[in-house]
Order: sequence, then structure tokens, then C-alpha cells
Amino acid sequence: MNRKEFLSDCGKIGFAGVTLSLFPWLQSCSEKAKQEVQGEKARIGIIGTGSRGCFHIKHLVQMPNVEVVALCDNYRPHLEDAAQYYPQAKLYDDYRCLLEQRDVEGVIIATPLYLHASMTLDALSAGKRVFCEKSMGYTLDECLDVYNKRKETNGVLFIGQQRLFDPKYIKAMSMIHEGKIGEVVGVRNYWYRNNNWRRDVPSPELERHINWRLYSEYSRGLMTELACHQLQNGSWALGMLPEKVMGSGSLVHWNKVDERDVYDCVTAIFTYPNGVNMTFESIISNKHFGMGEQILGTNGTIDLVTGMYYSDEPAPKGSGMHQLVAQIESGVMSNSVFAGTSWAAESSPLAPGMPIMPNVKVVTGESTVGAEADGSKELLEAFIHATITGRQPEKVLEESYYATQFALLADKAMHQNQILTLDEKYKIPYQPLK
Amino acid sequence: MKDSIITAEVKRRELIIWLICFAIANVVNWCAIIKFSTPWYEIFTQMGYVIVTSLVIYGLLLALRVAWWILSKLMQK
Repeated sequence: MNRKEFLSDCGKIGFAGVTLSLFPWLQSCSEKAKQEVQGEKARIGIIGTGSRGCFHIKHLVQMPNVEVVALCDNYRPHLEDAAQYYPQAKLYDDYRCLLEQRDVEGVIIATPLYLHASMTLDALSAGKRVFCEKSMGYTLDECLDVYNKRKETNGVLFIGQQRLFDPKYIKAMSMIHEGKIGEVVGVRNYWYRNNNWRRDVPSPELERHINWRLYSEYSRGLMTELACHQLQNGSWALGMLPEKVMGSGSLVHWNKVDERDVYDCVTAIFTYPNGVNMTFESIISNKHFGMGEQILGTNGTIDLVTGMYYSDEPAPKGSGMHQLVAQIESGVMSNSVFAGTSWAAESSPLAPGMPIMPNVKVVTGESTVGAEADGSKELLEAFIHATITGRQPEKVLEESYYATQFALLADKAMHQNQILTLDEKYKIPYQPLK
Repeated sequence: MKDSIITAEVKRRELIIWLICFAIANVVNWCAIIKFSTPWYEIFTQMGYVIVTSLVIYGLLLALRVAWWILSKLMQK
């Protein structure tokens, strides 16, 4: 999706102009913002040119106001793959050398999680604008350090939380904030896959280097690699942060196949101050339910992934006479019931659901690299705009900060078998996205 | 086969019975509009269904009347 298509989608959902004031971080997507940086180029360095790094490169090559001038990776095959897109870029195997390159204005960090914070801190100290992949850090303290460093340097820092730039999420959240689904009473997130989550390893000594996601020394597994994206849904919809977190995680299948030590099966519950619960569940040895992100209201449910709205009381179809005839017919044709079942689920089988906007682009969540049309490109464009202007957009960093903090807190709750709250020292000023 | 003669009185009576059925069908339509909170313009837009309903009611009444006529004939014997 290009900027024109993005704006067109915003137009379709009825708020091209209004949106930009309601969702200030989208300012960079406006025509005015485009004109502001017309003719200018952001000189970018990329640290980490593996699968996600190359995913970003494929978007960057389509952007006229970007010049990638440096590439860095300590795994030569990945570096050479990336260099094919930008043969003129300088190549490094140490990111500190890249940060010393003077003409690099902004860096994109797409490295394993345990490196995010140290690299981001160094890049901000070097005066670079920074886009770092999610999650923000490996520990709660690291995230706070990064946040404080950004504040201290007054730099630009984006974290890869692309849902903030996905038109169907923006539309859904504006509907929720307008009260269309009634009072929000629950948030459900789940992400199921059935694959080993591995990358091919050319030789055994590279196992941990390439499959870092599977080892707790480098990653927090499902919570930081998947949950982090979905956890922001609750705060975005409710306009508040969770009060307490509990969870359970285990290795139920893939540990029988390889040496991994991060959970392959997790369930976490986040409770908000108003009592609403948000759940996250992930299993990577069954994919039947796929990916789902649902906001439950007293009037109906919005599925953020499919962009569908399901009313609890769907508008009856047909005229009064039609409905009367249908009611008589169903009364005459139905089976006689002597005693109703108290356990029968009360659902809305007649509710087929309706799309919240035309041409919803649905992402399945199966890809382990990244999906098209999920807001990633728009997020990257916003970063490029911020690199040129030097302006940090409102709210995006705070939202990313808390998404990571709560993912980490849930992981901690699972390991400690406890209900946890976020310590006061980790709380930063937070303005809800509504 | 004998010729059948429908008198003017019978025609008038049947027309009055159908008009009563038509009125009942209209009342059913109004009740449906109120019950399902549908727009009042359905008084006119659903006229086709109202006429069909009135014919169904008329048919049911006719069947009852025929049954009554047969019964009374049998009783007289």
C-alpha cells in the first residue's frame, strides 16, 4: 500500500481529514507532510539484515525519499543479500562502526531482542534517529533506559508496532471510542501457528545465532515476538493500562523436537482498573484458530484482524410482516422443548458480521517474517518523515513502551507463577490513544 | 351439469366478508410494524402481502363456512 492508497483507505473509512487530528501520529501520512519533505532524502543505515531487515529493505526501495547508505550484519550471507538491493552502501559487521559514519541520519535496527536496547541507546547517543523492531527491550529496566535516553537526547525513536498505522485498526478504534460497540467489556487476543518457528541453519554452530527466538538467553519467546503486537489493543480500546497480570506458560511440543527453552504454549490475563480482562493465548503446534484480536462490547464485537463487526442483536432483515411470518413459522416448525438447557451457549447465530470498511486487507498471522498491508510500510514511512524533520510523533513511543513492558511482565508472571503489577518506577506519562 | 347463479346478494355478502378480512390483514400489518419497530410506510409498501394475507384469511373462513354448511345439511337429514 502506498501513501495514496493509505489516504484513500482513510477516505473510505470516512475520516481522511478528521483522523489526522484524532490520531496525531498519522500526521506524517498527510499530503501536507509529504510536501514538507519533498525533494529531501533520509540517509539510512540498517543494522541487522536478516529476514525482518530485508522485509524493511523491500519497502525502502519503493520510497523515493530514502537513500540507504550503510548496512550492517555480523552474518555475512545476510549482509550480502541486503547489499544486492543497495550496492553503493557501505558494509559493516560491527554496528558501532556504522554509527560512526557521519552521513547516516537514521538507523533501522532489526536484530535479536537482547541487542535492541544496547544498540538503540548507542544510536541515540550518536545522534541518530532510530527505528527499532519490537520489542523495545529484553528487560523492564532496559525499556526504561531507552525511554529515558530518548527523552534526554530529544531524539526520534520508533518501535515496530505497526498496528497503529493499519487503516482497519484505526477505523475499528474510532468506532469503539465513539461507543458503537457499547461499553468495552473484554479483549481477546490469540495467535496460533503450527510450525517450528525455525530458520534453516547452514552449520550447527550457527543454531543460536540464527534461531535466537527459541532461546531465552536472547528472546522472551512468544510474549515478546507475538504478544507485544496484540497487547496494545486493550490499552488502545480502553484508554487505560492494565493493573495486574497473570499467566501460565509451558513447553508442550517443540521441546521434544529441538533444544529450545522458550515456551511454545502461553496464556496470559491482563486486568484493567475497571475490571475488564484482556487475554492473550498462543500455541505454535496447532493453527486451527489462526490469529484473532477481538474487542467485546455490550452491543457487539469487533474482530480487528478481519475488520468485521458482529452485533449481539443483529438488525432483523425484512419488513414487519416478513418477520412476523418468520416468527410464526419458526414457532410452528421448532421442536418442542420440555426443559431448556442451562449450559447452552447464548450466541448470535444469525449475526453474519459486516465489514467495518470497504476492501479490508486481512493478514493471517502465519508469516514469521512479516505481512504486507499490515501497517509496516506506513510505519516505516512515518519514520522516514521523522528522520528528515527530526520530529518525534506523539504517543507512538509511549504505546510501544507499555506494549513491551506488559509483554515482559506477563513473561515474568509465568516464570514466577505470580500475579504481578508494574512497579511504579517503570511508569511513564501516558496519554490514552483516544 | 346445471348452470350456477351467483346472486347480487351473495356477491355483496362475499365482498363484505373479504373487506373484513382485508381490514383484519391491515391490523396484522400494523401490529407487525409496532412489534418489530419497522417504518410506518410499510402500511403501503407491504400492501401486496396484506392482500395475500386477506385472501388467506378469506380462504380459511370459506373452508369453515363450507364445513358448517355440510354439517348443517347432515343434521337436517
